[in-house]
Amino acid sequence: MSSGTELVKGVGVTKSFGGILANDEVEFAIAEGDLIGLIGPNGSGKTTLINILTGHLRPDRGGVVLRGRQMGDQPAHIYAAMGVARTFQLTQLFGRMTVLENLLVPGLTRPHSSWASAVERARSYLEFLNLGHLEQLHAKNLSGGQQKLLELGRCLMLEPAILFLDEPFAGVHPRLRDELIKRIQELHQAGRTFVIVDHDTEAILRISRRLVVMNRGRKIADGPPAEIRVDQAVVAAYAGF
Amino acid sequence: MRGLHIYIQVGVTALALTYAPQLNSYWMHVAIIAMFYAILSSSWSLLAGYAGLFSLGHMAFASIGGYTSALLVQWYGIPIPLGMAAGVVMCCVLGGLIGWVCLRMSGPYLAIFTLGFAEIVRITFSTEDDITAGMAGLHTERLFNTSSRLPFFYTAFLLLALSLLIMGLIVRSRWGLYLRALREDEQAAEASGVPVARFRILIFAIASGFAGLAGGFYAHYIGILTPSLGGLDLMAILVVMCVIGGMERLPTAVGGAFVVEYLLEALRAYEQWRFPIFGILLLLTMRFARNGLLTPLWLQFVRLGETRASAAIAARDVPQKDSSA
Repeated sequence: MSSGTELVKGVGVTKSFGGILANDEVEFAIAEGDLIGLIGPNGSGKTTLINILTGHLRPDRGGVVLRGRQMGDQPAHIYAAMGVARTFQLTQLFGRMTVLENLLVPGLTRPHSSWASAVERARSYLEFLNLGHLEQLHAKNLSGGQQKLLELGRCLMLEPAILFLDEPFAGVHPRLRDELIKRIQELHQAGRTFVIVDHDTEAILRISRRLVVMNRGRKIADGPPAEIRVDQAVVAAYAGF
Repeated sequence: MRGLHIYIQVGVTALALTYAPQLNSYWMHVAIIAMFYAILSSSWSLLAGYAGLFSLGHMAFASIGGYTSALLVQWYGIPIPLGMAAGVVMCCVLGGLIGWVCLRMSGPYLAIFTLGFAEIVRITFSTEDDITAGMAGLHTERLFNTSSRLPFFYTAFLLLALSLLIMGLIVRSRWGLYLRALREDEQAAEASGVPVARFRILIFAIASGFAGLAGGFYAHYIGILTPSLGGLDLMAILVVMCVIGGMERLPTAVGGAFVVEYLLEALRAYEQWRFPIFGILLLLTMRFARNGLLTPLWLQFVRLGETRASAAIAARDVPQKDSSA
């Protein structure tokens, strides 16, 4: 259900760490309404690309265009204010804050937000994610799957246009994984754009409308999942399907 | 009856203020110094406990605030409150600058950096004895020209109350929530839209300003200022106060200051052995009560008068109404 309006674009993104090229001239455009699966073997540069596209890393060369604006050296909170939300490969919650407070932090950063409206929105998202009964629990006490759901909830509090989910299904019980997939699909239907990185190819193939494959820092394929599945370069680089 | 603890606090404070004149000069001095430390411990709690920025330069800012005020009063004859205000502004600016310089530092790196800063300040004040009188001590004008300590007691109380009011408003606002978020995970806070760099600089500036206020008061209370005010010894005592009390809440940090200051006096007979006793107490606290010895007591205290039903309602209150903050 891509509407075609370009939301985020990585232009010639290049990044290296100590001589290792993590991203090599990557071109990556995301249109409004996309649901993109970003896959590739370990070390192929997926997380680095997400870090750059969300403002958490500066590329050595190239740049990011967000809603037509060159982002330059803008910090990540500006990306968040412009509707870019993300989760992390290893869940990063505010562990010694309650579940409700975890959602209030992004909720209160929204312009003209009040405590009362932020609490109301947080509670409605907690209900949506089946975490309502846990709102007074410290986030560190949640199970791994619940933590992933809470991280998604924290993204939603930003009222984002696009969500980058980094390995949302890793280490999650299949039942909770299905719940997570269901929520992502519902949110996508409601008009949100998603980029999902994961090694769970079954889940990725189930929900993606477009698949982008990376290998050794380069984008090697980009298209509908049905085409990518039979792409010889992908099969050679990315064993697993 | 919800909020019973607030009535108790107000009542105890009113009693303390009413009966303060009955205290002898010695214990009144102890109470004044305890309030001086309470401003420092609560502001350090704001920095280290709420925001997770473990700075060892807090006493250096008290020293800067003290010297700035004392020297301005001495050189230009400005009123003491104006000198103290100038000390606060100086500490806010320098604190913000330190916050900016160490934006990317945390944990031990930040501690070592701020320790280095504190030593530079101390050695500068020691060495520039033409200006500061070095270790001989700078004689400062006293805030009140009287032999009674009572006006100093009330002034210290007023400054502490004002500081706690401002800091309390900060920690109960959305800023308090952001500070705790950046303590927990700066990257996640940034991803949640919190301008982490701005808040780190801001909280360094605010906490340093309160340290400067305490230092300014101290300078014009004691009547003599030496560079040792900004030394590591007093910084260690400040850390002990916060850790033993509980550094993640303002009231427990204040309680820690009062308890440790009282113990320092009560254990005076043990002379230098007082300090190993505090060291052992610190180790035991870190091992068995990492949130501080006073925190469980405080949490029990704030629940006084709550029925089971009102506790359930309180649990559903919005977080800024958390009276334990």
